[in-house]
Amino acid sequence: MLAAITIGLFAGVFSTGFYKGMADMRVESGIKTEVSHIQIHETDYTLNNEIKLFMPKTNEMVDNINTFPGVEGASRRIKAECFFKTAHGTRGVKIIGVEPDREKKVTDIYEFITEGDYLDGDHRIPRILVGQSLGDKLKLKIGSKIPVDLVDIHGNFSSRLYKVGGFFKTTNTGFDERNVFVTFDDLKKQLDLPDDAAHEIAIYLNKNTELDTTYHKIEKAYPNLDVQTWRDISKELALVNDSMDEYMYIFVIIIMLALCFGIINTMLMVVMERTKELGMLMAIGMHRIRVFFMIILESVFLSLSGGIMGIAIGYAVIRYFEKTPIKLTIFQGFEQYGYASEVYTNLPFSTLISMAVLVFVLGIISAIYPAWKAIRLNASDAIRTD
Amino acid sequence: MPVMQSEPINNLKNNKIMNILETKNLHKIYDESTVPVHAVNGIDLTIKKGEFTAIVGPSGSGKTTLLNMIGGLDKPTQGEILVNGVKINDLSPRKLTDFRLKNIGFVFQAYNLIPVLTAKENVEFIMHLQGRPKQERDQRTINLLKAVGLGERIDARPNKLSGGQQQRVAVSRAIASKPQFVLADEPTANLDSKSTENLLEMMEQLNREEEITFIFSTHDQRVVKKARRVITVDDGKIVSDETKNP
Repeated sequence: MLAAITIGLFAGVFSTGFYKGMADMRVESGIKTEVSHIQIHETDYTLNNEIKLFMPKTNEMVDNINTFPGVEGASRRIKAECFFKTAHGTRGVKIIGVEPDREKKVTDIYEFITEGDYLDGDHRIPRILVGQSLGDKLKLKIGSKIPVDLVDIHGNFSSRLYKVGGFFKTTNTGFDERNVFVTFDDLKKQLDLPDDAAHEIAIYLNKNTELDTTYHKIEKAYPNLDVQTWRDISKELALVNDSMDEYMYIFVIIIMLALCFGIINTMLMVVMERTKELGMLMAIGMHRIRVFFMIILESVFLSLSGGIMGIAIGYAVIRYFEKTPIKLTIFQGFEQYGYASEVYTNLPFSTLISMAVLVFVLGIISAIYPAWKAIRLNASDAIRTD
Repeated sequence: MPVMQSEPINNLKNNKIMNILETKNLHKIYDESTVPVHAVNGIDLTIKKGEFTAIVGPSGSGKTTLLNMIGGLDKPTQGEILVNGVKINDLSPRKLTDFRLKNIGFVFQAYNLIPVLTAKENVEFIMHLQGRPKQERDQRTINLLKAVGLGERIDARPNKLSGGQQQRVAVSRAIASKPQFVLADEPTANLDSKSTENLLEMMEQLNREEEITFIFSTHDQRVVKKARRVITVDDGKIVSDETKNP
C-alpha cells in the first residue's frame, strides 16, 4: 500500500507538473509568437478584419507606446486575406506585413527560421516567409516564386509575385499553415494603403503581470481605438490558461479519490487481520476512542509516509524536467493544436504543499470508516476470531 | 522457578471484603428474538481472594460465557456481578473498560500478544494504558518476566518465543496491572505437556506466594488436577462445586 500511495502521488505530481508546463508553454508561445500581450486596432476591425479599417499615423503611435513603462516593444502590422497559387495547389492564407526590426521585439518568429532568412534586406522581388508545413504541402523551396492574389483597399484585384525567402516552424502547426509574412512596405504597396497606415499595433510587455496596468494606460491614451489584451484576442489561449487550474483540481481530485479508496481498503484489511488483537486491546482495558485514534493515526502515518515520498520523488523529477525537455515528437498531433513537442514541466511549490495537506486530511477521512468498524467489534467475539 | 520478589500484586491487601467476586442469579440468553439459547442459567457463585479455581464442563456448557460476563466483556441478560463489591453490570461501557483495566487480568487461549512488540513491551503496554510512570513500568515488567522465567528473553518478539513462553508473557501481562483476579480462558489448550506443566507451576506459585486469584475455564485435566476448587458447569448451571483439601 505504501508503494501504491508513493506511485500514485508521484504520478499525480508529475502529471500535474507536466500538464501545467504544457499549458504554460502554450500560453507563453501563443503570446510570444502569435498574439503579443496587447493589440490595438481601428474600432470594429476585429469584427471581420475589413482592410479598409486601418489606423492612421501609426508610426508616431508606436514611438509613443514604446515610452510606456513595462513595454518591451511595439510593432505595426498590415493584414489581409490572400490566395497563394502554386503548381501544387492553391491556398487561402493570412498575409501579414511586418516591420522586421520592430517585430523582433514583439514576436519570436525570426527564431523559428528553419531555412533561408527572416525578412531582412531589400530585394527586387519581395520576399515572403512561409510556414514549413505549408511549404512542404505546396512543395515550395527557397527562391520559389509565388503569385499572391488579394483585393486592395479600393476593392480591386491585386496580384504580386513574391519569392520564398525563408521557412519558419513554430510550435503551432496550425499557425504555420494559416499565416505568411512579408514586409510592411511590400504589403502596404500591394494593398495601396496610405503612408503610415496600419491595421494592427502589437505590443509585447516585459512581464505578463503588468498586463492590466499597461492595458489601462494604453486604453486611456487611445480612447477611440480598440485596445485588447491577449485574453480578448485569443479566447483559446485564455481558456487554456484559465481551465488548466480547473483541470489540475479535477486531476488531483481523481488521484486523491483513488488514494482515498485505497486507504479505506487497506485499513479495512488491517482491521480484519487484526480483529483478535483489537479485541484483546479492548478486553484488557483500552478505550474504544483510543482504538479509534490508533487506526486513524496508523492511516495518517501510512498516507503521509507514502504521500510525502511520492510528492518528493515527483518534485525531484519535475525539477529535472524543468531544465531538460520531455520530447513528444512522436505525438505530432500536439503541434496541430499549438502545443510544443518539447515540454518543460512546471509546478508551483505551493501546489505540492496543498497536495501534502490533502494527503494528510485524506489519511484521516479515509480511516474514519475502518476505525468505526474497529470500535464496533465485540471484544469477546473478536478475541476468538480465527 | 524464580518468583518475583517485588511489591504484592493484588491491591486488596487492606481490603476487608474477602469475596472478590460474586454472581447472583446470573443468566445469559442469546438470540432472544428467535430461538433463545440459555448459555448461563441462574449461576450463583462466590470467589474469595487467593483462590485457584477451575471452571470445567463440556463444550457449550456455558463456561466461557460465564467467564466473559465475570470479566465484563459480556452483559448478563439477568442477574448481578459484583467485583470487590462493585456491581459491574450496571457500569457504562467506558467505566467498565476502566474497571477491567484496573481490576481484571486476562489470559487467552491463543496468547494474543501484540506481534510487533517485544515481550517487555507487551507486558508494559497495560501499565502504559493505566498511566503508570515509566520507571515503575520498567521495573515491574522486568521483575515479572524474571518471575515467569523469561528474564533472558525480554527483548524477543512473540514470533521468536515458543507457545509456552508466549503464554508466560501473557500471564505476566495479566498480572502486571495488579488486578483483583486473573481470568484464564483455556490457557493450556495450545500448549504441549511440558509447557503446560511449567505454566501451571508458575501460576500456582504466583497464587500461593503473591495471593493472586486465578479463575480458569478449561477442559484440561492437568489444570483441574492443580486447581484447589473445581466448579463444573453444564447446560449453563453449576452442577458441582468441589474444594480440595490443601
